[in-house]
Amino acid sequence: MKEEIRGTQAAMERFGYIAEPAIATAVYLATQMRKPLLIEGEAGVGKTEIAKVLAQALDTELIRLQCYEGLDTNTALYEWNYQRQLLRLRMAEHEGHESKQLEDLIFGREYLLERPLLKAITRSAGPPVLLIDEVDRADEGFEAFLLELLSDFQVTIPELGTIRAAHVPYVVLTSNRTREIGDALRRRCLYAFVEHPGLEKELRIIHSKVPAASEQLAATIARFVQRLRQRDLRKLPGVAETLDWTQALVRLHQDQLDAEVVRNTLGCLLKDELDLRATDQAALAELLAHASTG
Amino acid sequence: MRALSLPSGILVQLARFSGALRGLGIQVGLSDAIDAATALTLVDLLDREEVRQGLRISLKVPPDAWPAFDRLFEQYWGGVAAAPPLAPHAQNPPRHRRAALQWRWDGQRVRLVAGDDSGTRAGEQTPGYTSEALLRRKPFEQFSPADTVRMERLLARLAMRLAAHKKRRLVPARARGLVDLRRSFRHALASEGELVRLARRERAVEQTRVVILCDTSGSMDIYTRFLLMFAFALRRALKRAEVFAFNTELVRITHLIAPSRIDQTLKELAASVPDWSGGTRIGWCLSAFLAQWQAQLLDRKTSVVLISDGLDLGDPAQLAAALRALRERCRSIVWLNPLLGDPRYQPIAAGMQAALPLVDYFGPAHNLETLEQSLRRVK
Repeated sequence: MKEEIRGTQAAMERFGYIAEPAIATAVYLATQMRKPLLIEGEAGVGKTEIAKVLAQALDTELIRLQCYEGLDTNTALYEWNYQRQLLRLRMAEHEGHESKQLEDLIFGREYLLERPLLKAITRSAGPPVLLIDEVDRADEGFEAFLLELLSDFQVTIPELGTIRAAHVPYVVLTSNRTREIGDALRRRCLYAFVEHPGLEKELRIIHSKVPAASEQLAATIARFVQRLRQRDLRKLPGVAETLDWTQALVRLHQDQLDAEVVRNTLGCLLKDELDLRATDQAALAELLAHASTG
Repeated sequence: MRALSLPSGILVQLARFSGALRGLGIQVGLSDAIDAATALTLVDLLDREEVRQGLRISLKVPPDAWPAFDRLFEQYWGGVAAAPPLAPHAQNPPRHRRAALQWRWDGQRVRLVAGDDSGTRAGEQTPGYTSEALLRRKPFEQFSPADTVRMERLLARLAMRLAAHKKRRLVPARARGLVDLRRSFRHALASEGELVRLARRERAVEQTRVVILCDTSGSMDIYTRFLLMFAFALRRALKRAEVFAFNTELVRITHLIAPSRIDQTLKELAASVPDWSGGTRIGWCLSAFLAQWQAQLLDRKTSVVLISDGLDLGDPAQLAAALRALRERCRSIVWLNPLLGDPRYQPIAAGMQAALPLVDYFGPAHNLETLEQSLRRVK
């Protein structure tokens, strides 16, 4: 493995993200090639976390845009502060400005509300990490807009002119694959797919995130969850769920798993009624047996 | 260009590799190959695993294509003995529809034919009246003529609802909706900052564009009528719905859809569709559809609804290839299979097997309720 990639991996680990070589390579390539990184994977495998850790490792600001259906440029890019503009106009009435002067005044930078995308472009103190979260939730029109932004890193505001990126941000896009991301956008990015972690990795994640969990408890939890993911469930528990559960068990001062505690806290792991019902006594007993023997 | 610092042998190998990936149906463009070349300058070329990861990342290979990618990678970047040639359908299930039918569906067919007097439960079959709730759950094959009329009305309503699906995106509106400050303020500038009129926005009504391909082969006979009826209702509600019938040939029937009686239309259909109620060649018909209609009818806003039981006479590989091509050109593929309503049914027919991984949603359509549920996926 190349020294630099190992370095990336170590840096991510320092900030609490246990990265597989594939992820470390992807992050390294994205930062070197200065291309956006598209990360896909099921919910709860830690896609967003990658961007957060990247920002910490680069010691820069994380600017996050959460996508949703109906997201438009007003919320993603910029908006004028209309209330302030109106007030200023009222005040100007008594001052007797010329109209051109007045226009310049109220369409100045201080009346501009910077939304995440514009903020990422205009940040003057070095390139930030721009996280465009769950891009699959925004509609396709927005994707086309992103495409333009991600290729030129400039924005045109009619009243203000074109704003060019001071520093090209590191861009991370995540998608839960609720719909296929358009080909054009995909092509513009590098691509990484995050899977549920293996036993060893999950164990390391538990240790690093919940240090209060004892060695034995962590190992049992990891084995239990690994086994649980092999079952035919509607929603597989992600790492986030594992950590929640571990936290819960630590709070309950549990040092090992027993059937009753597991049954009472299973809601931390399984968040679907059918899944909960499908994981009955017998199934739990089997899972527990597997988890405790190793 | 950083990529030029690579040994030319590697670049040639990369170009060949990209070509081979394309051959497997993995979309790799020139820009991807350039990305890959750049990535190769950044990874340790002596570490095969790292080269593999780097190529996967920079060529944007989606996870479902990883097995194929890895096989090719072994061949091209291995220095290891070449992997055995691909055999996508090593053991084909029986090809002949008759054999497949009898093997799995013999009893089912008999029940279907005698459906009217044997397959009904007490209380559901009071002649002339069926409550709407019951009607919704009643399998299509058990319909009486009186039900059919009511059904037609229900279907029309469902189609209307589908047609009027509102998007979350806001567009300028005339009199109602949320206040759009951005535009209001722009207007106000004309009157020296006086807000004379408030501009408004509301949620856009975006018509779903649908292409319906309906199987009219023998095994679909009992369903065809209802599904076509639905297609017609949808066509009436949506200006941009196109309807095709297929079995061994593909026929565009959009223009046949008359606002009046379904029976009349069905008769005309039977006359214009060759081999009505015969066998099916789904793959072939899809290829024909792509060749002839793709440019006019397909874009990323159009959903394709395939209504078929997947009992295919043709070559499953052809079906898979056609679906793959289709998938790249439309928004989503919804496959409605009336046989899914039967709990004993497993989609093991060769055609279905080939199609499943390429379809966005695979759902039942044996009664109105399931049809409605499945169609929520068409958005």
